[in-house]
Amino acid sequence: MAKLAVRLRAVEVVVGGALVCIAGRAAQLQLLEGRRWAEEARAQRTEHVALPARRGALTDRHGTPLALTQETYHVGVAVNELRDPAKDVPRIARRLRLATADVQRALRRRYAYFAGPYSVIDVQPLRAVRGVHLEPVLNRFYPAPDLARPVIGRVGDDGRGASGLERALDSLLAGRPGAAVVLKDRAGREYESPARVIAQPVAGADVALTLDAELQEIAQRALDDAIRRMDADGGDVVMMDPATGEVLAVASRRRDGSARPSVFTDTFEPGSVAKIFTAAALLALQRVAPAERVSGEDGKYRLGGRTITDEEPLPVLTLADAIRFSSNIALVKFAARLAPAEQYAMLRDFGFGAFTGIEFPAEATGRLRPPAEWSGLSAGSLAMGYEVSVTPLQLAVAYAALANDGVLLSPTLIRDVRGPGGDVAYRHRPEPVRRVVRPEVAAALRTLLRGVVEGGTGAEAALVNFPVAAKTGTARRVVGGRYAPGQYTASFAALFPADRPQLVLVVKIDDPRKGSYFAAQTAAPVTRSMLEQALAARTVALDRARLSTAAPRAVAQPLDDDPGVVPYVVSWPFRPDSSPALADVARRAVPDVTGRPLREAVRALHRRGFRVALKGWGVAHHTWPAVGDSAAAGATVTLFAAPRP
Amino acid sequence: MTDRQWETRLLAVLAAVLVVFGLVAVYGASSLVATGGGEVGADFALRQLVGAVVGGIVATWLARSDYHVWRRAAWPLLGVTALLLLIPLLPFTHRIAPTINGARRWVNLGVVTVQPSELAKLAAVVWTAMLAAKKGEQIRTFQRGLLPFLVILGPLVGLIFLEPNLSMALLVAILAGTVLFTAGARIGHFLLVGVGAAPLAFGAVASAQYRLARVLTFLNPGSAPSEATWQVHQSLVGLGSGRLFGVGLGQGQQKLGYLPYAYSDFIFSTIGEEWGFLGVLAIVVLFGTFMWVGFRIARSTSDAFGQLLAVGLTALIGFAALLHIAVSLGLLPATGITLPFISYGRSSLFVALVATGVLASIGRGRKVT
Repeated sequence: MAKLAVRLRAVEVVVGGALVCIAGRAAQLQLLEGRRWAEEARAQRTEHVALPARRGALTDRHGTPLALTQETYHVGVAVNELRDPAKDVPRIARRLRLATADVQRALRRRYAYFAGPYSVIDVQPLRAVRGVHLEPVLNRFYPAPDLARPVIGRVGDDGRGASGLERALDSLLAGRPGAAVVLKDRAGREYESPARVIAQPVAGADVALTLDAELQEIAQRALDDAIRRMDADGGDVVMMDPATGEVLAVASRRRDGSARPSVFTDTFEPGSVAKIFTAAALLALQRVAPAERVSGEDGKYRLGGRTITDEEPLPVLTLADAIRFSSNIALVKFAARLAPAEQYAMLRDFGFGAFTGIEFPAEATGRLRPPAEWSGLSAGSLAMGYEVSVTPLQLAVAYAALANDGVLLSPTLIRDVRGPGGDVAYRHRPEPVRRVVRPEVAAALRTLLRGVVEGGTGAEAALVNFPVAAKTGTARRVVGGRYAPGQYTASFAALFPADRPQLVLVVKIDDPRKGSYFAAQTAAPVTRSMLEQALAARTVALDRARLSTAAPRAVAQPLDDDPGVVPYVVSWPFRPDSSPALADVARRAVPDVTGRPLREAVRALHRRGFRVALKGWGVAHHTWPAVGDSAAAGATVTLFAAPRP
Repeated sequence: MTDRQWETRLLAVLAAVLVVFGLVAVYGASSLVATGGGEVGADFALRQLVGAVVGGIVATWLARSDYHVWRRAAWPLLGVTALLLLIPLLPFTHRIAPTINGARRWVNLGVVTVQPSELAKLAAVVWTAMLAAKKGEQIRTFQRGLLPFLVILGPLVGLIFLEPNLSMALLVAILAGTVLFTAGARIGHFLLVGVGAAPLAFGAVASAQYRLARVLTFLNPGSAPSEATWQVHQSLVGLGSGRLFGVGLGQGQQKLGYLPYAYSDFIFSTIGEEWGFLGVLAIVVLFGTFMWVGFRIARSTSDAFGQLLAVGLTALIGFAALLHIAVSLGLLPATGITLPFISYGRSSLFVALVATGVLASIGRGRKVT
């Protein structure tokens, strides 16, 4: 059958051709395009999952936790996977602290879910039970929910800081989430076992705040009491360590119980409490001799078509009397000796009308108008603390400069930052902004303030044992752009103790309605109450050893030389590094602010201790002196702005 | 006679190697599926092993018996096959022929479940070889030669098509056509039948949405909805990612639900993924050698029936393999053709082993020339 052989050969040729085609095609797919197909396969089968990083904790200065992230668990039970339901169910119920009957009822479904959240300790023994599935969740937890909440803020649903320090410090706290690749099948089910971790999550840094939980508690309680007792609209308390600029307590509260960080964000006209800064200008520029007297005018004094009155008229007053009795008339008369620029510069140097530079995400600058915008009455108004608006924090910072021998420090809420391994990434050091007045002027001003407590308007703040330096302020309140009749803001700023102060307190009560509205009767006693509590508190690190020897007003002795007294708490606050040689006016480098928003650029320059003259609008373009050049602290740096490119 | 035995031995060895390869591949491809269903991972492979052992015994027995019995058995075999094919088409037989994946291709005979269309391949080849050998030179005429085949095989192919199983119907037609072509039927007649059948084939393709989609997406990739291209595309993804050495036995991940029927209709793709280009080449060489030996036996057999039967049986295994592989490689539209010896499915395995046994019997029965 020759025919068959031929036909068979044809079939074989076709088959051979097909085999060659197949081998060629396989080579094309697997050898030439293999990499591409493999990538596509990997892409469709794997999924990147984020491994959440633990958010860093916030603690107070002693390590008391204020905000923690804890791993908690939801518990799921797959009923059909349980080995021995009769034994397992009571065990699960016991660990979850539920009645066995309840768990049994829940287990009638195929998959029972207990949201919890349950702690590690609760669920640890359940790990070994087959059929129990633990679903870890990271939760932000505030051990003392009411403590300093407006300052600490909160974390949003997305796990990022939404307000307060949680927001300001978010990049530090958040850590870096890790990543893993999991296999998934076509239905999207993930297969965990071959999960490959690409990057381990890095936990966020822990931040120790400068807040002192006990002082914070004292401040909040005292403020709540005061607001309730005086039926006030609200109030604020700030406590600062004047030697370091550390904020120790921040309390803000409205009458309705709500709390917003008004210490940083709300401004008010301080009134008499700011008189000391006019006195500072007078003493610094030596316009008033200590014994110099002016007439009290019987409590009524007409100036530029305005009548200025004193509550307690005196026939003649020195500057010390003017501060002690908070005499408007005397202050206005003395202030007339200052040029507007001098008066303005002093207020500006104390930080009014500018950001303090605190780490809080929102801060008000208040308002301090330059002399060019003044009216004829402005100089007098400013002398009495009007026509300037300040935040309680600015006031505290300015008073801290008085306590700190005339050097203004940038306030801070952050004491140190520790990486997840415990290594210190940052530790706060006092950041001097500028020298505002000479040390002897600061000391003289403190003496004036001490007089306020010793027989003056602040007598209500006096403690039996320790001298306090303080100033009251009772200012008319602006509501809707005009002075509201019968509404006042009572404020009180205190340095404690008067010599070598360790604590600056500012108390502000908005619109007290019950009893007196005078700060002397409202804010001052609140301050005393807080100081007494602080002294009684066990952990507050006031240097009691030094307090007990605080009497001599003459030359302050170094701590080490204190004779005969055993100091039993010495942690307050002086680390050797705290204020070395701030006095000498060093030349500093001008920072590079090119391209930064004006607000930031000005702030950066202020922080270096420069005054800023602004030219133009937009973003920072260059400065004079230029970047890298240096200038004396307190010198004026001209910042030239250019329109945003 | 003994010096011609090496071909049959080689055939046995090839079949054994392919079966073992298949068992391993089925285990690798199906373990996850089986586990997902709550069964042991080796379930598919064990069932396949039972089929292989039974089929191997039958094949050995067939190899030692005279293949001429098939000449007499041709008509009954065809009749039984037609009957079995008819069962799923009857409306009252759902109990023994359930609908699986939209088609009724399996018949439960109590002891075993068989796929009649697999049997139809064998029946068609045996019957065509028998009749073509009987017709001799008459095959070159249309009326006395080709027409009777069309009359008998036409309805048979039609029954398979109605199951519905278009690809198997086409394969049976191709197998019968190959036997007739080898027997010496006129090429002009083939063209005539081809032209006549073309509208029928088109109608068959167009009659079902999924078939049309498969063909259209094959002709114009990327134009059709993704679900239609999914199978073939996933087959390519698996094969391609195997690259030269493969990802390793059992390591293939296309079977995680990406590649449907990774253990049967697309087992070649699984092999390509797990064993790489080398595995693919091994399969191609094994089947190529099988066909070479098969055709060699056909050529050296003296009687016409033996020759044609050998050609038909070789094609039965070889062509199915070629079609399966071509589909896996995206060279043909997606079909449900299994890879002989290797794909999961005992009907398919059994038929392949029977065909090998008969082929060996033909090889043994040759006269030394």
